Amino acid sequence: MTPKPPKGHCNILYFASAGSYTSKNVEALPAPLPLSKLFGLLEERYHGIRAGVLDHSLVTINLTYVDVPGAGEEGAEEIVIQEGDEVAIIPPVSSG
Amino acid sequence: MGENMGNQPRHSGATAAADLVHDGCGRRLSDGEFDRYSRQMIVPGMGKEGQLRLINSRLLIIGAGGLGCPAGQYIAGAGVGTIGIVDSDVVETSNLHRQVGHATARIGMKKVDSLITHLRGLNPLPTYIPHPFHITSSNAADIISQYDLVMDCTDNPATRYLISDICVLLCKPLVSAASVQKSGQLIVLNCPPAPQGLVDGKYPPCYRCCFRKPPPAGSMISCGEAGIMGPVVGMMGVAQAGEAIKILASALHVPSQDSLERNLLQPTLLIYTYDLESAVGPYSFRALKMGGRKKNCFACGENSTLTLSGIKAGSPNYEQFCSVPTSSCKLPPEERITAAAYHEARERGEIPEHILIDTREKEHFSFGSIEGAVNVPFGKFLMRAAVLKRDGGSGSDILPTKPANVDAPIFVVCRRGLDSQEAVEKLKELGVDNGGRRKVIDIMGGMKAWKEEVDPTFPFI
Repeated sequence: MTPKPPKGHCNILYFASAGSYTSKNVEALPAPLPLSKLFGLLEERYHGIRAGVLDHSLVTINLTYVDVPGAGEEGAEEIVIQEGDEVAIIPPVSSG
Repeated sequence: MGENMGNQPRHSGATAAADLVHDGCGRRLSDGEFDRYSRQMIVPGMGKEGQLRLINSRLLIIGAGGLGCPAGQYIAGAGVGTIGIVDSDVVETSNLHRQVGHATARIGMKKVDSLITHLRGLNPLPTYIPHPFHITSSNAADIISQYDLVMDCTDNPATRYLISDICVLLCKPLVSAASVQKSGQLIVLNCPPAPQGLVDGKYPPCYRCCFRKPPPAGSMISCGEAGIMGPVVGMMGVAQAGEAIKILASALHVPSQDSLERNLLQPTLLIYTYDLESAVGPYSFRALKMGGRKKNCFACGENSTLTLSGIKAGSPNYEQFCSVPTSSCKLPPEERITAAAYHEARERGEIPEHILIDTREKEHFSFGSIEGAVNVPFGKFLMRAAVLKRDGGSGSDILPTKPANVDAPIFVVCRRGLDSQEAVEKLKELGVDNGGRRKVIDIMGGMKAWKEEVDPTFPFI
């Protein structure tokens, strides 16, 4: 079970290679946080994660797929991650 | 048939049973079929119609490994009439902890033949078709076109993109699963199938709609390298079979307007994580709501230029698409040493005091290491490096030991020689080389090279 994020935070879940890269399954980040700022923030914490993991991963907020705006790209309507939200970073898995 | 029963005299025994499942098209279930499939036919929603659809279906399993074996067992058991299996590999001992369709006695046999042997033992009624070779750009369409539904049980990104693209172009539903180490994914794609380019409405996604770009080649770990827990991949393969049976039994694979309307159902990505370290909450399933077909999708979107003839002629080039290099690490020759040269220099006492960092995961390290090596798993190393860089601490804090001589050289070794190069670059970035006075050196080819060049008995995994 994932612990509830503290007040003023959201939970970020790291699956597969995102988990190996960060050595974490979950962590709390301050929220509200515009979705377009998420990758930049994670890159600051985990140098190289953007090219190595995030750019080809899919992202969900509260179990629903979201399109992450590219660098410098303004989304038509900005999605903002809210306090208490659960964000998942899901890289493709290929093996079988 | 139930509504007619009152008007007809009741038969008894096997004849009655056969009558019960009389098909409108003239097909009856044989007594053998009736007995064999009775327990699933009485499940609400399945019935005689569902069973006959399964028997009349042709299903292709691509990959006879950790996913294909458990999936194949339930596909064969359920009585899918024609089952094709593609794989070019042979059975190896290290497959058997998870690839339950093979056997110790069949080590060395082609996987397709081994799995078919096993499936025939479970159910001799279906027709089994072996395709004992790799699926490639040149043969994929010819193989896939012979089937109604495809199960992707393969183990590499290039093949996953190829299979998805062909399924889009041939209007075949694709049940795709994947699994590595402690997690698995499952998604039903292109179902019910909709023609390429149709985007004005709600249509199902393809693999590219979900994963637009492949991961960098170096970051993609295989089961051979990262390991895999048998039950994790088994769970995904079984779930994959469940989805395939559902699609075929309810005729969702037939591209009709009716079935397209039924796809107002949400495409779902199932994620399974199995946490070996945590005693509480040892497993978790998450069902993620996915988007539909993407308007600008390279394969199924409105301006897609993807064609079967193009793929056959080698465009797009799947291998190239999936082998984007991770980093352009180019260490000069003086910062690298072969495993053999390092060993000899040590034996001759030429490098007395030095630090030897082994960046493999601790599980790999636990099976054996070079004498004096200190384990700093690469993921942890990168994280510490990022923190030091951000907070501006002393670069040497990243080192596992502090030798008296601050210029004592550092050697880095990993599993196969890629991570160690990156680690050397990072150490220099952090100033650990003391402005060039201290040597930071990569041991080329990692512990794999150590086994090949120095110690053939080394337990390399």
